[in-house]
Amino acid sequence: MLSNIFTVSFFVSLFASTIRLATPILLPALGQIYTQRAGILNLSVEGMMTIGAVAGFTAAFYSGNLWLGILTGMVFGMLYSSLMAILSVTLRANQVIAGTALNILGAGLAVFFYRVIFGIQSLPPQVESFQMLKISVLSDIPIIGVILFQHNIIVYLAFLMVILTWFILEKTTFGLKIKAVGENPKAADSKGISVNKYRYFAILIGGLYAGAAGAFMSIGYLNIFTESIIGGRGFIAVAVVIFARFLPIRAMWGALLFGLASALQLRLQALGIGVPNQLMLMLPYALTIIALVLASKKAEFPSAYALPYSRKER
Amino acid sequence: MRNKLTKNLNQLLLAIGTIILALLVGAVIISFSGNSPIEAYLSMFNGAFGSKQRFMEVLVKMIPLVIMALGTSVAFKANLWNIGADGQFIMGSIFAIFVTIYSGLPPIIGIPVSIIAAMIGGGLWAGLAGWIKVKFNANEVITTLMLNYIAVYFLSFLVYGPMMDPGGSKMPQTKLIPDAFRLPLFESGNRLHIGIFISLIIVVIMIFFWKSTLGFKIALLGQGEKVTTYSGVSVKKMIVFTMIISGLLSGIAGWTEIYGVQYRLLEGITSGYGSMAIVIALMGGLNPVGILISGFFFSALLVGGATMQRMTDIPFSIVDIVQGLIIIFIIARTAINFKEIKNRIVRRMEHVK
Repeated sequence: MLSNIFTVSFFVSLFASTIRLATPILLPALGQIYTQRAGILNLSVEGMMTIGAVAGFTAAFYSGNLWLGILTGMVFGMLYSSLMAILSVTLRANQVIAGTALNILGAGLAVFFYRVIFGIQSLPPQVESFQMLKISVLSDIPIIGVILFQHNIIVYLAFLMVILTWFILEKTTFGLKIKAVGENPKAADSKGISVNKYRYFAILIGGLYAGAAGAFMSIGYLNIFTESIIGGRGFIAVAVVIFARFLPIRAMWGALLFGLASALQLRLQALGIGVPNQLMLMLPYALTIIALVLASKKAEFPSAYALPYSRKER
Repeated sequence: MRNKLTKNLNQLLLAIGTIILALLVGAVIISFSGNSPIEAYLSMFNGAFGSKQRFMEVLVKMIPLVIMALGTSVAFKANLWNIGADGQFIMGSIFAIFVTIYSGLPPIIGIPVSIIAAMIGGGLWAGLAGWIKVKFNANEVITTLMLNYIAVYFLSFLVYGPMMDPGGSKMPQTKLIPDAFRLPLFESGNRLHIGIFISLIIVVIMIFFWKSTLGFKIALLGQGEKVTTYSGVSVKKMIVFTMIISGLLSGIAGWTEIYGVQYRLLEGITSGYGSMAIVIALMGGLNPVGILISGFFFSALLVGGATMQRMTDIPFSIVDIVQGLIIIFIIARTAINFKEIKNRIVRRMEHVK
């Protein structure tokens, strides 16, 4: 029986959807690497993604332009993250409570405006999604071509962002300053680096990435918006950052691992395997806990992780 | 005594101010959507207090919400961010229903056993996150939340699978518990059950709990680990223990909902109570009486919001928006140092002179 399931075509479609499903975890995780490296634990990724999903969907639906949708998602994700920046940096509020509040508020706002804009319809409004972009020559390679080179453009861009994020953080002074305000804000301050300014940047970039990922879910993956569209991916992304020890390339592997868990659940469900569906659906969430268990002790958290900075406290 | 009274009064006024501010911002959002905020809030108020039956319904919702918020407050006081009350509520309900349906115990033994089972289910689920935290340093916010998802799917698995009502119409629910196990209603015509006394008793217990040595040690945990180590308490043990207490209360909340309202397990039994419990706990200043008062307010918001959605075009989500705003205003309020701002303005004024 097993040999009937585990065929070549099964693995090809499994790995191809692994890459697709890794995308909405990879993007917010990359964004949160900036934020967490700057010493801010932003738990409102889920809320930012939901806001990005509804904003991107609305823009794409009315303009018919998917790129405008992605852009709108990014802008709204960033705008929403500015609330976290004000709360955690300017007001030095408790970051866990601020993040929780913004998740509740974000879900509320997203569903409220979706209902106001689209009303209640028997069939949910849809957008035409991004076309699959087959990369010539490469996509014709048997097996590998189908797995790696037959996705929509956002998927490719997300994976390119891994390199860009690594480059910015490791090779530019901007990246260095972001890391400095998370590692030793007092020293950074004395060198003339504005701690608050770079923490704001780090949070806003995180919002930009999360908004893009939210828009990907609604217009690049599902083509509709639903209340539970993000389904915990924002929290999984936060866990991936810790699992990846704040490194972009490891975050890619982490996101792929979660992509695999989700893809495995979908594929096996499609094949009608004997394991109940609900138990398979637990897989990504259980994996998140396991990943945290394996990684948290080893991860070297930035020294000022989740600690507000004040010049007066010396 | 006098001081304490003014302090409490001040707190109450601040809380009311926070709520009014959140409702005002909510009003702006409602008018953005092209609806009348006055109509919205009026129908919300009517929905909660418009008739005796509706008011009773507010009290029905208050029972599990207050108990869950008390559970959440135990963890929060120790700076443990247990946001998994929903999962603990579900696991408590599952454990309780399991023993009631399959043990065949007579009610006189079966009812206490089912409460204990609910406490074990909720306590274990939160304790697991606590254990993972002390053993592996894993952030409890993420683990408790992931355990929520796992509990939701586990419940769904049970009611679609092994625990589905064999005599039923293939609905995703278990069979009903026997009549003798159900919490008595006050009167027919509404759903208010004697669980309201249970929640009040737990409020009283919690008042004394915070005055006990154990409560003191938990509060100490919130002051920072060093203090706790100096006072000779094992921090790790206390973290797990605090999480268990926090979770077992949510387990009891699940028990009251199942044995007082639903009489069976079914999908979606928590319907977002967990996040509301967080708001109630914070709004109540993590103190039992405060939680009772804010629990009443948010239950009214919940019942009123549902009515408003039926009566008007305004979506229920406005309730979530108001909840989120209230927490934001609470943390902003504690973070903004009013004295400093006042000093700064005074200084600047003098400068101008």
